[in-house]
Amino acid sequence: MAHYQPNKKNKTSSPKLAVQKIRREKNQIRSKKKERDLSKAKMAEDLVLDTAIRDWVLIPLSVVMVLIGVLRYFVSKLMKGSSQIPDPKIVKEGQVIIRARNLRAGANYIPAKSFRARKAYYSNEENGLLHVPKGQAANPQAQMFSDPNMAMDMMKKNLSMIIPQTLTFAWVNFFFSGFVAAKIPFPLTQRFRAMLQNGIDLSTVDVSYVSSRSWYFLNLFGLRGLFSLILGEENATDDTQRMMQMSGFGMDPSKTLGAEKDGLDIVQHDWVLPKFELRAESVLRKLVK
Amino acid sequence: MFAVEFQKGAMAGHDNSNGSTEKSTSGMDDLPTFNAENMQNNMKVILYSRTFMAIIGGVIAGILGLTSLTGFIFYFLVMAITSVALTAKAKFSIHSYFDSWNRVLLDGFFGGLMSFVLFWTYPCLL
Repeated sequence: MAHYQPNKKNKTSSPKLAVQKIRREKNQIRSKKKERDLSKAKMAEDLVLDTAIRDWVLIPLSVVMVLIGVLRYFVSKLMKGSSQIPDPKIVKEGQVIIRARNLRAGANYIPAKSFRARKAYYSNEENGLLHVPKGQAANPQAQMFSDPNMAMDMMKKNLSMIIPQTLTFAWVNFFFSGFVAAKIPFPLTQRFRAMLQNGIDLSTVDVSYVSSRSWYFLNLFGLRGLFSLILGEENATDDTQRMMQMSGFGMDPSKTLGAEKDGLDIVQHDWVLPKFELRAESVLRKLVK
Repeated sequence: MFAVEFQKGAMAGHDNSNGSTEKSTSGMDDLPTFNAENMQNNMKVILYSRTFMAIIGGVIAGILGLTSLTGFIFYFLVMAITSVALTAKAKFSIHSYFDSWNRVLLDGFFGGLMSFVLFWTYPCLL
């Protein structure tokens, strides 16, 4: 309002004065613009997000992800329940490995002679249980092709993990892209802008405001802990096992046998029982004191 | 909420049973033996309690309205408290339950961080 008054006075005053006044007016307008820009920046600092976004985007997204996680858990459980009987040869090898491991752990509690006998039983070069003749070691890939069940099993496991994730991600991208969805309570540097504000082309918005896509990722990683609490440890171990299988493309039994054999070979045997009387004596003396 | 409470109860139960069944330093002083199953069980207990504390801590941090660095300091505090509590639960004899201090102090630290951040954000939405 203030800068309209000089306008009226202009009509009565000289042209020089008028020019000066116009300049002043321009300056005033400029400063006002600056003020407005500043206020805009302040607005950007504390954007008010519509509560409808919370009610219709963030909460449904979280609920859906929790439910999908639970569903995935039960589906994978169902699939596992209907799986076929394991191959007897693999079971046998697993048992042998466990026995060898036990021997290694308890080596010092048996006399040297017994240990040597057992070691020979496991790792001698002719017919030791852990000895795998060269060339006979089955190629796991070839084994997989010969056994379609194994491939099917792996595919099922992978699919049960990948499909829900891709579907949820596609859903989030399709419905909830292109707007600021949430404010995270910690500031991040500008480098995160491309990642967190995907689909929002505003350079003035603070980086702690994120799009729904980053909310999805936050949920994806953050809910893992919740799942391990509500679904038991099976869920967590499942994932790691799956990872191992994916990286190693199935476990190679001959390799683990060889590793166990090497472990047995380097065990330094030291029979502890002769020293046990001393130990018992010291413990008893301590008790008496 | 119900599930979490139930989990906690089960956890305490595990812990108590550990006290009686845990086999630890028999043999010589220089020959520690560990029961692998019990070890694994203890690790599981640690992981559960850390996750639980991370989630609860996140909710508390969100309700208190902590932002940026204070929130992360709060997470460190919560984890330190958890470590102390776990040590107390093991009756301050860590080596009869775990093979090293790192298990009690560090295990599940970064796994809990993501859960903490998520549950820290939830109350901020309201």
